[in-house]
Amino acid sequence: MKLYTALRGALASVLISAGLLALGLSAAPSASAQTAYEAALPEGINSAPALCDLVACGEVLPGATAFSERKGQPRYVEGYAEVDGKRTLLGYVMLSTDITDTPAYSGKPVVTLIGMNTEGRFAGVKILKHSEPILLLGIPESALIRFNDQYLGKFVGDNIEIGRSRPDEDMIGLDAISGATVTVIAQNQVMMMSGAAVARQVGILEPTIRPQARFVDAGRALDWATMVKEGAVQRLTVKAEQVGLARSPTPFIDLWYGYLNHPEIGRAVLGADGWRALMARLKEGEHALFVIRTGGIESFKGSGFVRGGLYDRVQIRQGQDAFTFRDLDYLNLYGINAPGAPAFTESGIFIVRSPAFSGAFPWKFMFLGNRVDRETGARSFANFDTEYWLAPSYLEGGRPEVKKPDAPWVRVWKMRALEIGLFSALLIAVGVVYAMRDTLTRRSTRKNKWPVNVFKYSAWIISIGFVGFGLLAQPSITQVLTWFHSLLFQWQWELFLTDPFIFLFWIFIIVTVFLWGRGLFCGWLCPFGSLSELLFKVANAIGLKRFQFVVPMQWHNRLKWVKYGVFFGLLAVSVFSMGLAEKLAEVEPFKTTFLVGLFNRSWPYTLFAAGLLGLSIFTERPFCKYLCPLGAALAMPSTFRWFGLKRKQECDSCHACAKGCGSNAIDADGRIDHRECMLCLDCMVLYTDDHACPPLAQERKRRTKSGLPLTPIGADGYFIPIKPVPVRAPQA
Amino acid sequence: MEILRHVRVLVAYQGFRVCTLLECTCDKTSQDALYRQAGGNCSAMHGAATLEPYARTNTDHTRNGSDRTMNEAKMNPVDEMPDPSRRKFLNSAAFVGLAGAGLSVGLSACNKDAPAPAAAPGGAPVAAAASHAANVHLKPGELDTYYGLWSGGHTGDFRVLGLPSGRELHRVPCFVPDALVGWGITNESKAIMGTKPDGSLRYTVGDTHHTHASYKDGNYDGRYAWINDKINSRIARIRLDYFICDKITDLPNVQGFHGIFPDKRDPVDQAINYTTRVFCGAEFHTPLPNDGRDLDSPEKYRALFSCVDAETMDVRWQAVIDGNCDLVATSYDGKLAASNQYNTEGGHHYEGMMSAERDACIFFNIARIEQAVKDGKFKTYGASKVPVVDATRAANTDPTTALVGIVSVPKNPHGVNASPDGKYFICAGKLSPTATVIELTKVLDWFDGKLDDIDKAIVAEVEIGLGPLHTAFDGRGNAYTTLFLDSQVVKWNVDAAIKFTAGDTSAQYVVDRLDVHYQPGHINASQSETMFADGKWLCVGCKFSKDRFLPVGPLHAETEQFVDISGEKMVLVADHPVRPEPHDFVIFKRELLQPKQVYDINEFPLAVKDPKEAGVFRDGNKVTVKVTSMAPAFEPREFKLKVGDEVTIILTNLDKIEDLTHGFAIPKYNVNFIVNPQETKSVTFKADKPGVFWCYCTHFCHALHLEMRSRMIVEA
Repeated sequence: MKLYTALRGALASVLISAGLLALGLSAAPSASAQTAYEAALPEGINSAPALCDLVACGEVLPGATAFSERKGQPRYVEGYAEVDGKRTLLGYVMLSTDITDTPAYSGKPVVTLIGMNTEGRFAGVKILKHSEPILLLGIPESALIRFNDQYLGKFVGDNIEIGRSRPDEDMIGLDAISGATVTVIAQNQVMMMSGAAVARQVGILEPTIRPQARFVDAGRALDWATMVKEGAVQRLTVKAEQVGLARSPTPFIDLWYGYLNHPEIGRAVLGADGWRALMARLKEGEHALFVIRTGGIESFKGSGFVRGGLYDRVQIRQGQDAFTFRDLDYLNLYGINAPGAPAFTESGIFIVRSPAFSGAFPWKFMFLGNRVDRETGARSFANFDTEYWLAPSYLEGGRPEVKKPDAPWVRVWKMRALEIGLFSALLIAVGVVYAMRDTLTRRSTRKNKWPVNVFKYSAWIISIGFVGFGLLAQPSITQVLTWFHSLLFQWQWELFLTDPFIFLFWIFIIVTVFLWGRGLFCGWLCPFGSLSELLFKVANAIGLKRFQFVVPMQWHNRLKWVKYGVFFGLLAVSVFSMGLAEKLAEVEPFKTTFLVGLFNRSWPYTLFAAGLLGLSIFTERPFCKYLCPLGAALAMPSTFRWFGLKRKQECDSCHACAKGCGSNAIDADGRIDHRECMLCLDCMVLYTDDHACPPLAQERKRRTKSGLPLTPIGADGYFIPIKPVPVRAPQA
Repeated sequence: MEILRHVRVLVAYQGFRVCTLLECTCDKTSQDALYRQAGGNCSAMHGAATLEPYARTNTDHTRNGSDRTMNEAKMNPVDEMPDPSRRKFLNSAAFVGLAGAGLSVGLSACNKDAPAPAAAPGGAPVAAAASHAANVHLKPGELDTYYGLWSGGHTGDFRVLGLPSGRELHRVPCFVPDALVGWGITNESKAIMGTKPDGSLRYTVGDTHHTHASYKDGNYDGRYAWINDKINSRIARIRLDYFICDKITDLPNVQGFHGIFPDKRDPVDQAINYTTRVFCGAEFHTPLPNDGRDLDSPEKYRALFSCVDAETMDVRWQAVIDGNCDLVATSYDGKLAASNQYNTEGGHHYEGMMSAERDACIFFNIARIEQAVKDGKFKTYGASKVPVVDATRAANTDPTTALVGIVSVPKNPHGVNASPDGKYFICAGKLSPTATVIELTKVLDWFDGKLDDIDKAIVAEVEIGLGPLHTAFDGRGNAYTTLFLDSQVVKWNVDAAIKFTAGDTSAQYVVDRLDVHYQPGHINASQSETMFADGKWLCVGCKFSKDRFLPVGPLHAETEQFVDISGEKMVLVADHPVRPEPHDFVIFKRELLQPKQVYDINEFPLAVKDPKEAGVFRDGNKVTVKVTSMAPAFEPREFKLKVGDEVTIILTNLDKIEDLTHGFAIPKYNVNFIVNPQETKSVTFKADKPGVFWCYCTHFCHALHLEMRSRMIVEA
């Protein structure tokens, strides 16, 4: 009776929490009216010439009252102060997505309006739109605003990085936002790239002058295959799914390109006469490259050049310098001389007119596309590029040395190498311990489970403290949803590599789910799960045992399906709106518990998380068993785990283990449901405990009675039936 | 005059044509007979000798009946072509090597000389032809592979076609005003065209016939093209970087300036392997100077051959000659220029112009002429200061000092063309069904005193069909000659023709014939006038189109027919209508030109480089209005004038975007012109009407094109 009351109370508290959560969520949109999460951008923001009619440019360039139309490439606007009808240039305003589409944690860019004064110092930063889930309902947006405020007054040409300042390296450090490292690394890149791109155009930063290449001309007549092999021509393929279109066997666009100033390549492509004629048209420091389209129907010329004179679909980048092409930088390419050249349907020669470019250094040919978001129909910039670097044999003295900045994810890995090492060690250790479970369970008895528990409890404590609160590495259903979408649309390793702990955790999860089932993660390493069960155990130990209850099996068997419903519900919602699914994923109290902290959230969230944790005191892992969509997602593949827990024949009638199973994972027939099992190993302790396992105890008694030796217990959970051999002492 | 017609169907071949073989006897005294024979159509094809008085007499075998019988069996390989499958067999690449043997067995009755396989360059021409034919019609966005430069006839313009599509890409005004660009309206164009003292244009009509482009190393170099105006004896130069006419020169003392050809190399300094001169032949002979003297003494009329400097466009020298010049050709070594001549008789009515048995191809020894000029051996006529040397027959009897050598060619020849191998000039007979092949080394030998009779330079004179006019080449040893009267193109092998003339009667020089529609005049093949003739395409300028296009009233378009000549057989692939009436044209690879996309603002001394410089500048009643255009606005947006002002408007288009051209029209003032990106032009007029006049942009430029205006306010 008592049990039922408690259960009712528990269910009621869950329901109340859920209701409150729903309330909180329904309140969220109105609360987020001022937030930039998935904020609707003004129509035409990406293309309208008068950018500042659409967004408040004045906020990022204080004092500016008049703004020019978008100009330059990449684009920016000039901001003026009008004093007595006289205009003075105050600085520049740029929209980050005009310059770079560097994705943040969400895989989408943080659309930022950046102001820079005429000296190249940042004057203002405003987030117009972001899709960072952590900033949606976790870390307050003010954290990002505070982060951005660090840029104010800093010079665009300075070496600004996340982390502590290192004056000896001329590096200015910025304080990161704990829990949003990836977001701020991406944001830093966006700020510095955007600022530099405009500062270079307006002359605040000197363009990088690279030493010009000296070419090796061995007089070879290159055919196409050789040029491909030697990297003298490169390919850039954009698939339909990469631009948000339906997956298609034919590419969106398939381009080949190459550098024509090199005599061997130039002659191979244009023929000796054609190459000479082209070179005669080039001035000192000008460079020509060719592009052909061998697949796809999308034009690389586009139509921007028709009115504006600018080719808006192709660009080349060398280091931080971007080179765009005007209509006057284009020449017809009539054919490719090199034998074996592919047939093409569009072609052209583009001329780079800048001494900043050098054929000796690596550069990228970029196709500037749009990705259509199939949910919203919104278009975002999507750039595709491949690198081109003349082979050392083409250059006198070989390739010059080039230092390349690491990708953001590489920087994260380097920055957190120690933690990554520790975390990896933890994962490996837990795996090894579990692999040796047999040794541990044999050492344990029902009365003394410490040989197992010492490891498990250590794992819990580490995962709560170090993994959860420390590294904020709490895996979440949102990652599963993201994967689903990545698999369907576009898989970007970078997206997953940017969070090394989650990345490693998932490797661990995938491996162990298929080896042993989800229990090793859920039962041993999930920070929230660990916290939940730890609370239960502690409560038990401090005398609250009498209030603790086990959900009756018939109720458990109904309730356990709820989590699958939650999972599939989220999955279904995510197909229509990832943003909504991310909000609904707040059914996981992880963010509140670890990422943000119970006391940093609005009360519905805190109440919900606290309620679940409070319930955990009275019944074991209520969230894990009934609500956790991540658990549900992992439970399904657990069906196919490689190694299960052991059972013996008598288990179908003996319910000793089932009684003690905190997960309610053992059914009336004694079968273990590995989808529910947390791998606590209690039943495995019993399995070899000849005082606790009823069949084994029975046999022990029988053997003792009949004077049979108590042989060691075999893998099948019985005494090994050894017949004593006279010559050897019949010892156990 | 009696004509005996004896019609026999020789062979019907593949639906190409039914060749009727006519035997004609004609009244030798009647000129009309020729044309009657023309109606008979095939006399030339089987080598009939009925044109004896007009043909060279040394080809005895063509004269008697028995020979004719013999010739019938072998004369026209086209009409005796075996069935198509056989042709395929011959054309297949694998069997080219066996072609000789195969022919001797399979086609023993004809084609011993196997000109057809010789013309097939080892590939599979049939397949090639098919693929070419498919390429004539370009898909949207596809570019032509050749440029064609066309004359416009008495529209007086110069045209640019893309080939093989035949699309007209551009018309460059030169001799006559053009309302689109404001040619003849702007001060700049007027300065080029030439004005009377009152500022009005000296000439407003023109008749362009021939255009040829500048050379370097035996190929076009994309600098210039030149074009003639037959009506007013002017030569215009077209810059091929901007496709504009930049100079026009009047040829003094000349009427009926017709043939034109740039030289290809310097005759003395062989290092100058590019065009430095342009030669101009005049058709009409006039009194010298033509100032009212000798009006009724036609025997004193003379025509001049002129040499114009390619760069300065000044007339370097002229040469007085006998007879009238038709076309001009130049040698690849630069030593010789030639003009085929009619009316060597000096007649002034057409009967008189046709009285002599043979006319001539006159060869100019350029080095000697220029030496003579240098030595002061020249005259000048009238107001002209141009030195004129005496290149008449009478004055040049000694070959070793002669300025000219005159090779006789049959009656009233038409067209002289240089073969791409640099060896021969070929004159077509027009009134004679023959083509005459003149070997240039022999002409030079004559000048050097090594050849006693310059006519011995004629290495072939073969009958090819009725009314031969102009000849093109494929670079594989074949010539393609239009037959005006037959409405055909005949493909013939030059080496075979030389062998035939040398007495090898088994030599089959006619390779193929093709009906064209109709009355073909000029002909040219891709790269034909260079050392790099590629034998891909042939264009035939047909003077009559008759039923080939939708009728548009009595005036018909002309037909530029496009022919695939990559195979052994010519394949007609397209009819391209052109507004009358182009004459000559050249076709060359697109890679040879590098046109500029926009103008260089610094090339215009009057350029208004900044909108801030725009405005009205008054000096008494002389007013200069400096205007800039940048889509979608003119600067200034209004300007004030007074009635009686002499106004000069200078307009610079500051837009730099390719293809962003603006127009400037002034209503009621009869002004319109365009300014291309970075271009500057000016007009001068008298402000004689008070009121408000909206100067507006006539050339579509911008979404606000209609709003792009400037107010010209003329105060009374």
